[in-house]
Amino acid sequence: MGQTRHGPGRIAATAALALAALIMAAPLLWTLLLSLKSNAELLRGTGTAFAPPYTLQNYADIFGHSAVFGWLLNSAIVSLGVTFGVLALSSLAGYGFARLRFPGRDVIFILVLFGLAIPEQSVIIARHQMFSALSLHNTYGGLIFPGLAAPFGVFLMTQYFRAMPKELEEAAWLDGASRFRTFWKILLPLSLPAQATLGIFTFLATWNDYWWPLISATNSDMYTLTVGVASSQMNFAQTNGLGFLMAQAVFASVPILIVYVIFQRYIVAGVSRAAA
Amino acid sequence: MSGLALRNVSKRFGDTPVLDDVSLEIGADELLVVLGPSGCGKSTLLRAIAGLETIDEGQILIDGVRVDRLAPGKRGVAMVFQSYALYPHMSVRENMAFGLINIGTARAEIDRRIAQAAKMLEMEHLLGRRPSELSGGQRQRVAIGRAIVKEPKVFMFDEPLSNLDAALRSRTRQEIAGLHRRIRTAMIFVTHDQTEAMSLADRIVVMNQRRIEQIGTPLEIYASPATEFVATFVGSPAMNILPVAQATADGAFLRVALGDGTQLETSLPASAIKDGALRLGLRPEAVRLCAPGAGDTNATVEFVEFLGDKTHVHLALSRGDRVVALAAAPCTARPGDETGLVLDAAAGHLFGSDGRNLKAAPA
Ligand SMILES: Nc1ncnc2c1ncn2[C@@H]1O[C@H](COP(=O)(O)OP(=O)(O)OP(=O)(O)O)[C@@H](O)[C@H]1O
Ligand SMILES: [Mg+2]
Repeated sequence: MGQTRHGPGRIAATAALALAALIMAAPLLWTLLLSLKSNAELLRGTGTAFAPPYTLQNYADIFGHSAVFGWLLNSAIVSLGVTFGVLALSSLAGYGFARLRFPGRDVIFILVLFGLAIPEQSVIIARHQMFSALSLHNTYGGLIFPGLAAPFGVFLMTQYFRAMPKELEEAAWLDGASRFRTFWKILLPLSLPAQATLGIFTFLATWNDYWWPLISATNSDMYTLTVGVASSQMNFAQTNGLGFLMAQAVFASVPILIVYVIFQRYIVAGVSRAAA
Repeated sequence: MSGLALRNVSKRFGDTPVLDDVSLEIGADELLVVLGPSGCGKSTLLRAIAGLETIDEGQILIDGVRVDRLAPGKRGVAMVFQSYALYPHMSVRENMAFGLINIGTARAEIDRRIAQAAKMLEMEHLLGRRPSELSGGQRQRVAIGRAIVKEPKVFMFDEPLSNLDAALRSRTRQEIAGLHRRIRTAMIFVTHDQTEAMSLADRIVVMNQRRIEQIGTPLEIYASPATEFVATFVGSPAMNILPVAQATADGAFLRVALGDGTQLETSLPASAIKDGALRLGLRPEAVRLCAPGAGDTNATVEFVEFLGDKTHVHLALSRGDRVVALAAAPCTARPGDETGLVLDAAAGHLFGSDGRNLKAAPA
């Protein structure tokens, strides 16, 4: 970095960052632009996207008649279910690994860490058969349960609780709090920054997950957004056109933006509290 | 009986003993200071009383009731941690209320106790703040306040002053003494700082290597140390220890000869003589400079510490033993000077090979 505020190093770095941001943003802007064009015009060529007329008709169509709302709801239920499930389970497991003594604890913790190294692909057939046997396909449970096994969440919360000063808990015990109350009132609120991080990543990963819902949700009523939007892409010729497709994509990403903006505040608050 | 009693308490961490047969009693309104070097088991002792550590043997009683199997919150003790351990996400008021809410205290009573404690500690204006918005001294006060509102039977402090700067430390020390005068509960204060111990304590417990060496008032600890460890640990500069070459018991009093042949008469009756190597302990104030040849022995001045109101003169005796003498300021001694020394052995102590003071009653 340059020594001065406006040194050549700084200008070069800013330019590089701006270029990178542009490259990242271009597909998103392209999507947005296409979603604002009428399907008829786009049939003539996507080059027309750079010039008016623009229209909101594609968005109106979504609100009028589209399965998108159902998929949106499915995605929301599944993503929130997985997120809260992972937060609850990872926190409890993390507390257990960090603070309780029980036989086999370290071995079990290592087994959990091994879970990080097992790719989903290697277990998908077994999982598919298991869920078939339990009749869990095409249910919310079928979409949520696999996401609850979150070795990374357990690892993250274990490390986070381990790093917390033990004296805080001891002070709470001396204050007459039970183990659970200590966990609930002292440790959990203090782990909010880690919860926010884990929550965002879990939510985003689940929201964007495509493969497992594609396998498990075969009934179009149970499609999540990713599967649903992709299914309209596949029979592209019969859909209402490219503009409508892009409008669906934009619409699908709005919830993610909202969630990110909300949680980001928690992250910033958590970081600044830790620094204080 | 009221107050706290420990009976033959022992504690091991795995194979490592940390407390070895510790017994002591604290009156219901007594301020007891536990003094000892780092690692001797002071914190473990407090934590055992609080219930944060289990004990392997012995009993702990509060007001005559055994508590050593009770949960920490059920013992009626409060502890101020060295790190204060304030709940970072709660306001000062919430910090103080937490312990009371947990035991189901009525809202009005909680408010009353917090108001009272806040007034006593002059921190009413801090009640709405978070711990991160407080200075070190203020956090300390909140930690004390959080303990006071519980109205515990035993109040414990684990080195509460070690995170404060020197000026604040001495002020807080006085405040804790004042606090104890006002609330009159049993208090245990752990420190490795002898000044803190001397100035605060009703009685001092001196610990070394997981055992209690001596329990006594500050004066008893200073004037009649039970062991060589206590003698050298308390007092600054430390007591001079000189090996005794020979002890003779032919007169009324025990006489000792130092390595360089210096003959000294102690205040111990001749009958107190003991087998094994003896060591003579002399506080710096019992060692005085005089003209060469005019005292009990001669020594060479090694260096001189001028401290304003007094001077410490470090000396080497002819056989290589070193002593520190307390001299009035100003003192004219210069490094390399030959000087005479008066060794007031009658004011000194004799320690046997087991480290015990021959003057003290046999343990
Ligand atoms: N949880 C533990 N496991 C094993 N050993 C421990 C544990 N806690 C303390 N010890 C050991 O017990 C001994 C006494 O520790 P303790 O903390 O009571 O000392 P202390 O007198 O408070 O020292 P300091 O003045 O440094 O705080 C030390 O040797 C320490 O290493
Ligand atoms: Mg300690």
